[in-house]
Amino acid sequence: MTGRDLDQFVIDRVGDGEFNVHRDLFRDRTLFDLEMKHIFEGSWVFLGLASQAPNPHDYFTTWIGRQPVVIMRDATGVLGAFLNSCRHRGATVCPHEQGHAKYHVCPYHGWAYDSAGKNLDVRDRQHGQYSAAFDRDSHDLAAIAKFGNYRGFLFGCLNADAPPLPQHLGDTRFFLDLVVDQSPHGVELVPGSSTYTFNGNWKLQIENCVDVYHVLSAHSSFVKIVERRRSGESANQLEALDFAAYRSAAITRGSFTFDYGHAVIWAQNATPQIRPLFPMIDEIKQRVGAIKAEWMLYSRNLTLYPNVQIAENASLQMRVIRPLAVDKTEMRIYCLAPIGESDHTRTFRIRQYEDFFNVSGLATPDDTTCYEDCQTGYRAHSINWQQGYARGITAVQRGADDYAKTIGITPVTSQHGPHDIQDETIFHASYREWLRLMKAGAK
Amino acid sequence: MNTDLLAIATEVLYREALYLDTQRWDEWTAQFTEDCEYWVPAWKGEHAPTEDPRREISLIYYAKRAGLEDRIWRARSNRSVASFVLPRTQHAVTNILLGDAASETCIKVHANFTTHQFSPKDKTVEIFFGRYEHTLVLHGATWLIARKKIILLNDYLPAKLDVYSL
Repeated sequence: MTGRDLDQFVIDRVGDGEFNVHRDLFRDRTLFDLEMKHIFEGSWVFLGLASQAPNPHDYFTTWIGRQPVVIMRDATGVLGAFLNSCRHRGATVCPHEQGHAKYHVCPYHGWAYDSAGKNLDVRDRQHGQYSAAFDRDSHDLAAIAKFGNYRGFLFGCLNADAPPLPQHLGDTRFFLDLVVDQSPHGVELVPGSSTYTFNGNWKLQIENCVDVYHVLSAHSSFVKIVERRRSGESANQLEALDFAAYRSAAITRGSFTFDYGHAVIWAQNATPQIRPLFPMIDEIKQRVGAIKAEWMLYSRNLTLYPNVQIAENASLQMRVIRPLAVDKTEMRIYCLAPIGESDHTRTFRIRQYEDFFNVSGLATPDDTTCYEDCQTGYRAHSINWQQGYARGITAVQRGADDYAKTIGITPVTSQHGPHDIQDETIFHASYREWLRLMKAGAK
Repeated sequence: MNTDLLAIATEVLYREALYLDTQRWDEWTAQFTEDCEYWVPAWKGEHAPTEDPRREISLIYYAKRAGLEDRIWRARSNRSVASFVLPRTQHAVTNILLGDAASETCIKVHANFTTHQFSPKDKTVEIFFGRYEHTLVLHGATWLIARKKIILLNDYLPAKLDVYSL
């Protein structure tokens, strides 16, 4: 597929009031294979948190696109990222999701590696009658081309030509800082993650995280449950995010998009007192300043394209997206929390997380069911174009708006206003990046 | 083994399965005490479910029956797309054993469960399986569930999971 062919899938003429995406992006297997190659294996992807391997010789395994990866901390405490495949015949050398091992011995023929990925032993090498050609090859685990760590958030990239990580993340780092700086000790993963799949394309998840428009329709049962708890119709006293309150005229919400497909939506907080962070806000203000503290209390959903999302509206969730097929996606979800918060607050945070974010909760299943219904709907091959990227198109501006200036960031686009705009220009950045990476790969 | 108490425990668990499978949810929630604990741990390792619901994530955790009642309300609300087409479920409850604390007014019960469910929407069959731990208490003449812990062994989850599947 040439660049010109690819251009036909995304219409990007915002100046003329038009932006659109062809439905084949959600249903075409050829495009999916190219996405794995050029997006997931051609750009930076999120791997995990440094705290998932806290000590020397700790490791955890994950994926970059279709490829198995292991992140290991060596004897000196330095993190490395490698393809999880023995150089001999290919078996994975780390079979567990996480663990601790000074040495990794391939179970098949016994080649051994240390926690820095260095080959220590080609078993019975001296009797192997090997040639000089074999001896010239490195037998170490294959390090991935680029590996970076931004304040404990680990990213990897199989493409040596990708830009440096700081450039890739750009001003989205402000929003990662808002997470990491919630405690002077940083953030941690709350033990107990879960994994689920949905029968839908991965870009449905990319969109949903920053989709304000779906909240009051897809989550109307959650909105009503929160109302019933308030009124006493429900005897459940758990305080949860009141989405309906965001329609108040006093509330401004907005969005920023960035280079490389990243996007964030934000909203001033209608009910900051129900945030687990709220009891600590005075300490936070003193430490990071009033503006950052205020933005920590804002509702914020961040997508770092193409595979990690951080949603903070009541509790704090991190989601990692792994496409399995054009119509099947795996989600690993985690609760993040500031290190050192009180027991009471931690429990409150966990209950909010389970209530909303779990796939066994009261909101996420309504999203995933909608994705699956979309995927079924895409089988209507007679329809080629979506109508879902148009809201807000006359309100979006290039560069920084006043809110961006206040926090000192320079996004590619900004948009703000009352809730009911329910902006859809927020999605444009991810499709621009989709087209850029796919065309770069097609060259 | 106290065969009377075992028979009581079996009756309560079988009845619970019947109520869930026939969507008699009011009768199901009425089997629980108001301050019951309903707990489905998440997993933190290959063989390690979470152990402390105050410090670790659960798939579902309630310290009151009201949490279950929220879910029943939602399933019936016609506002939750995930609940529009409910699965047909069948619970098989087996391997029932009395735990240590059996007394005339309190029974601890261990059991296995398997739920087969058919989705009339997707035409698919899903299976959930694991272990139950129930604590039953005698309220007047009725045995109620004061605690139910569900260790879900296959936690690579589909796009939705709710109490009627567990």
